[in-house]
Amino acid sequence: MKLYCLSGHPTLPCNVLKFKSTTIMLDCGLDTTSALYYLPLPLVHSPRLSKLPGWVSKDGTVNLEKELKECAGRVFVDSQPEFCLPERELLDLSTVDVILISNYHCMMALPYITEHTGFSGTVYATEPTFQIGRLLMEELVTFMERVPKAQSATCWKTKEIQRRMLPGPLKDAVDVWSWRTCYSMQEVNSALSRVQLVGYWQKVELFGAVQVTPLSSGYSLGSSNWIIQSHFEKVSYVSGSSLLTTHPQPMDQSSLKNSDVLILTGLTQIPTANPDGMLGEFCSNLAMTIRAGGNVLVPCYSSGVIYDLLECLYQFMDSANLGTTPFYFISPVANSSLEFSQIFAEWLCQNKQSKVYLPEPPFPHAELIQTNRLKHYTSIHGEFSSEFRQPCVVFTGHPSLRFGDVVHFLELWGKSSLNTIIFTEPDFSYLDALAPYQPLAMKCVYCPIDTRLNFHQVAKLLKEVQPLHVVCPEQYTQPPPAQSHRSDLMLELQPPPVAYRRCSVLGLPFRRRHERIQLLPELAKALVPSEIKPGISVATVSAVLQSKDNKHVLQVRPSSPYPSKKRKRLLEEVPELLTPKPLLSGAIPLDAFLASLHKSGVTEVKVEETAGGHILHLQAEDALIQLEEDATHIVCDTNEPLRATLRDLVLRFLHKL
Amino acid sequence: MDSECLSLLPSVCEVLADSKLLPPDDTSLEKLLDWFKDLTSQDDGQSLLQHQPCLLQFLYSVMESEVVDPIIFSFSLKLAGLLAAEESGFCLLQEKGVLVSMFVPDGWHVLGLWKNASVRCGWLQGLWNMLQHPPAMDFFCRNGIITLVLNLQNDESLFITSLTNQILAHILNCSMPRVLGNDTDSTAEGQALVSSDWVSVTTEIMSHMSRSLASEDQAVILPGLRLLAIVLTQCGDPLKRLLWKHVLEPLEVLAIRKGDSLTPPMMAVLQAAARTPLYIQPECRVEALMNVMLYSRNTNESVLCAASILLLEKCVSIRLIGSAVISLLRICIGHYPSTILQVGNFPHLIGCCKIQRCGLDVLGSLTVYEESMDLIQEAFAIILQYMQSPDSHATVLKKAHQAALKWFSICSPSTDLWRFVSNDLFSVLKKHVCDGRWEVRDSTLEFIAQLTSALKGNSEYTEALHTNGMISVLFTALSDVEAYVQASAVAALGEALTTTNLPLCTSLQEEIVSHLLTVLAQDAESFPRRAALKVFTSWLKIPQTFAALDQSLSSVFSLGGNDCDWEVKIHTLELADVLMEKSLSHCPYAVQGYEPSERCTEQALNKLMDLGTLGLLFKCLFDCDRPVSQKACALLLKLRAFMKQTSHTDGNDLALEICRYNWGEEILHRYCSKRPEQSDCVSNDDEVSYEQIDIVKCDPCWPKEISLCKILDVLDLDEMQHTLSLSSDHVINSPRSLMEDILFVAHQSEDNVVDCY
Repeated sequence: MKLYCLSGHPTLPCNVLKFKSTTIMLDCGLDTTSALYYLPLPLVHSPRLSKLPGWVSKDGTVNLEKELKECAGRVFVDSQPEFCLPERELLDLSTVDVILISNYHCMMALPYITEHTGFSGTVYATEPTFQIGRLLMEELVTFMERVPKAQSATCWKTKEIQRRMLPGPLKDAVDVWSWRTCYSMQEVNSALSRVQLVGYWQKVELFGAVQVTPLSSGYSLGSSNWIIQSHFEKVSYVSGSSLLTTHPQPMDQSSLKNSDVLILTGLTQIPTANPDGMLGEFCSNLAMTIRAGGNVLVPCYSSGVIYDLLECLYQFMDSANLGTTPFYFISPVANSSLEFSQIFAEWLCQNKQSKVYLPEPPFPHAELIQTNRLKHYTSIHGEFSSEFRQPCVVFTGHPSLRFGDVVHFLELWGKSSLNTIIFTEPDFSYLDALAPYQPLAMKCVYCPIDTRLNFHQVAKLLKEVQPLHVVCPEQYTQPPPAQSHRSDLMLELQPPPVAYRRCSVLGLPFRRRHERIQLLPELAKALVPSEIKPGISVATVSAVLQSKDNKHVLQVRPSSPYPSKKRKRLLEEVPELLTPKPLLSGAIPLDAFLASLHKSGVTEVKVEETAGGHILHLQAEDALIQLEEDATHIVCDTNEPLRATLRDLVLRFLHKL
Repeated sequence: MDSECLSLLPSVCEVLADSKLLPPDDTSLEKLLDWFKDLTSQDDGQSLLQHQPCLLQFLYSVMESEVVDPIIFSFSLKLAGLLAAEESGFCLLQEKGVLVSMFVPDGWHVLGLWKNASVRCGWLQGLWNMLQHPPAMDFFCRNGIITLVLNLQNDESLFITSLTNQILAHILNCSMPRVLGNDTDSTAEGQALVSSDWVSVTTEIMSHMSRSLASEDQAVILPGLRLLAIVLTQCGDPLKRLLWKHVLEPLEVLAIRKGDSLTPPMMAVLQAAARTPLYIQPECRVEALMNVMLYSRNTNESVLCAASILLLEKCVSIRLIGSAVISLLRICIGHYPSTILQVGNFPHLIGCCKIQRCGLDVLGSLTVYEESMDLIQEAFAIILQYMQSPDSHATVLKKAHQAALKWFSICSPSTDLWRFVSNDLFSVLKKHVCDGRWEVRDSTLEFIAQLTSALKGNSEYTEALHTNGMISVLFTALSDVEAYVQASAVAALGEALTTTNLPLCTSLQEEIVSHLLTVLAQDAESFPRRAALKVFTSWLKIPQTFAALDQSLSSVFSLGGNDCDWEVKIHTLELADVLMEKSLSHCPYAVQGYEPSERCTEQALNKLMDLGTLGLLFKCLFDCDRPVSQKACALLLKLRAFMKQTSHTDGNDLALEICRYNWGEEILHRYCSKRPEQSDCVSNDDEVSYEQIDIVKCDPCWPKEISLCKILDVLDLDEMQHTLSLSSDHVINSPRSLMEDILFVAHQSEDNVVDCY
């Protein structure tokens, strides 16, 4: 069993598991942090961004004026942003049989895997994962295609230039050659056409060899962990999971018990921030800004935490006397996201599910929309510009601040210290995200809300489910670099977890020992079991083993001794059929054996005790009988009749099968 | 009152002695005993017994009865002890043979009564009540009661064992001076003879103690240790030394005994010893024992030992404790100080609210020591970290506020401090005022109010408060949805404007006053209204004039006086008090060195009249809530005293148009009752009916106005004040009603019971 690790990002994993002749890809996350090296894509012409000076190396030898621009003291790539893909060279992607998706954030690289690689397998995902994943991809494509850039910068990637000449942080970027621009809508559609929908606890057979089952993971709508098991082995794949009570169905922990291997990814990215505290911080900073007459900008994904934020604000705004402040949600998929969340009732927590029977919408943002307090728009153009009123709260993407409508709001509001930008998504460093907008007068608050498991919770979970081995990204085996003293922020397990990094190939530390074989009824009927120990019977069986579609069946051996000519060749393949020799079992009681020797006329026996049993010296006959736990030897070179007699005597004490 | 009660006593005794009746409940009997305790403290037991033969009768009948209820028996033991607490009472009971048959345990306890814990308890209580004088001690020693008391030290009831310990300590304490005195100088032979019993009792107690401590049985050692701790804290030095000699050896054995639950009582003993001169005597080995305890136990128990050692004052430097607490607090929010890295990791401490709260409490209480001044910067830094942490629980923030206040109270103002206040502190407070948890908002506003009040008169602080937008934050908080928070905002804003030395612009003043008036008029919950009145009162108290308030006082009085909440009314009366004080006492200073001029008084009274203050006082005097009328009565008395002192003439000047007010009727009613000779229309009866007053009102010959002095005279304010000062339950709580209850329950026939249902 092997694990190929195609991504080093702990929360955007992409691993391939080879298990019992199947090749299973676990998630295919897309690392978009590479976009931070690029200039923002403004929706409206920005004089500031269009007049940036080009970059020339200090000695003037390298001139990349066209590709690199200096902005706010840093150098950015002026091109369509590119993303860091999972490793594609480590193994032939066309051999991947299935892809299991655990949540919508972890499928964003899907088109890069399924298209143009020869991939011909199936992708399994739950319905909300599929639908919301589609929305997020669609949004990403729209963000890119809305602001086309003719140029695709590649010269800066030249190793000699990038590593030696470029200033930081650009020179520290890794694997820049594997970065790719965004896929097209057509590729998205083609990739998604390979998805087959599954429900929680639904068992899917893969080639008869293994069975995969998605389990509720509590992190987002439709998010799942997966169990991959054969008759005798069980591998659990834990991706983004949460034990907090937010909107999704709670996490199923008990089904993870008795795993041989547990692959653990997707823990919280901000282990020191407690989501409750952050939510409180979010609300009070928001209220403080609005009361002072400022606007609040929340860069966020169009699905996920935003539902919780809206729900929290729904309650908070009234109690904070800010009931009339408008919320704007701007995204090409804003409407679909809000509506989809309301129709996936069966994927929600109990509390929200029960609302559906009243009937009431499960999320209170429906009421916010109804009372006109929450308005959603596809973009800043059109209706929004005429209806927009301040002070307000704007939720919009992309959290990297490099593309999407958020770019416009930063240009618009960045100059006033009354306004506040509140970061809630944990995926991007807020300082890096803000770098091209400096100097910024706008207040900036960092309240990352990551509901995924923290180390404390994961330690408790692992104690409960007791996997034999844990495999995890190497980042989880040491404290975060910024807090090297916090040994509570790492996994400490016995045996220690097996760590992986990008491009690792791990031989998983357990061996398959058993395989299930079916016995046909006819064959079973013919068996003659004999009891060798109380409760344990054995029988010899002689049959033909047929293996097909990873199923093994013992069949009655063909009895026809006279095959027709036509079948001759086939028959030749049938191995030679021999009557099996009887098997012996049991122990020889020394005293009784000596007695029976005596009866047979062997009187002079010297018994010598050895480590494994006894040696009987038959002095008169010049023979030896060596009795051991699992073997008996009769050494009697000259006298064959005596040997036979002795053999029969020994056999008398043993069972025959 | 007592005489009435004493007349009921014979029948109560009869009821109690009647074994056919159910005994009253324990509480009644306890209350009855309390009353007896009062009686005997006023009068000795002997005279009580002589005047109330029923008591002796009762004790006899209890002694003789074979079916007495254990509760009654226990009661009678306690009662007998009380009556014998004075020598004369003791002698009388001794003469009558009561004491021997009640306390010498030969006769009665075979009845099975002894098995009842309440009886054993009553017996001990009785003994303790009695053992207040030498004859009682003689009685105790001579009759061998000590054996039984010592046995009770291992009783199954905790109450009894603890009572036993108290008694034993008491006996040692009483007898020791005499026993020791006996040793040193020869006294009269008779006394020496008496003392021989005492000596044997004390020796018996002490050897019993050392025996208990040397026992193998934990259940025996434990009460022994407890007794030792009590004796060491309560008794005189010679006794302590003597006792310590007796017990040192078994204590040394106990100190090294591991793995039992004796650590806390052992430490209690050592702590008690450490507070006595024994501590400095090397042969007493107190410190050595502590050392052994500290190092021979497991972690948990050593911590207990260390904690009790730390409780001994001055044994560890405050700086050391302070640094430890600050480090602990840092760990609790995930900041590891590098100095203790090697000790290990404390993941379970991070985010632990309990430790955070206790830590902040300790940090705050360090401020009483001078040495802690060195820690001031670290203290403020850690407090700020707690305030800034989004994970801090509301209760932790509250503790952080309390600690901050204490540190502010000792620190001297500096530029750094004001920078800290305006940059760091205020910005986090502003955020907390917008917090989603009302507890946080509330305690933050409270903190701002307290801080402002604590730094009163400090111009840098006031400036920071007014220039940092804090005032507008407080203004916004006035419209919080939670009444508590609103109230705290009112208080904080009030405090902020009271302390200011800056000339406040009138428009701001007006805005605030009008906002508070709206609160007073419209708020549905009482807390903000109460707070608003308190703020008005504090503003009125400051020497500067608050023009906007002066214009609104009459509205304040009318709104406050008509409020449905009695506390609001009380606060309104307090405001009236301040106003009266200010306007009446203002006169003498106007013309210094002269008696307050009549004209000035008149003006002041007129002003009070116009603002509705006098009307408020009279209205509140007849309020249905006792505290309100009590307060109003006190203010009227004050007014009366003032008028008596200042006015030389009859004081008829200020007249009130009595009929205009709804409280006027009550006053007219009293006026008419007091002055029947003036009225032709009123009958000569003492009581005047209200119908008659109606007639009076219509009668044109009747004066529509009555002078203030007359009204104050007519109202019997002193009597009113007395009546009002008695709490409303004074009748129900009296011993008389208690006895009546006992009698009633006893005589309740079955019919009555049925009736009740």
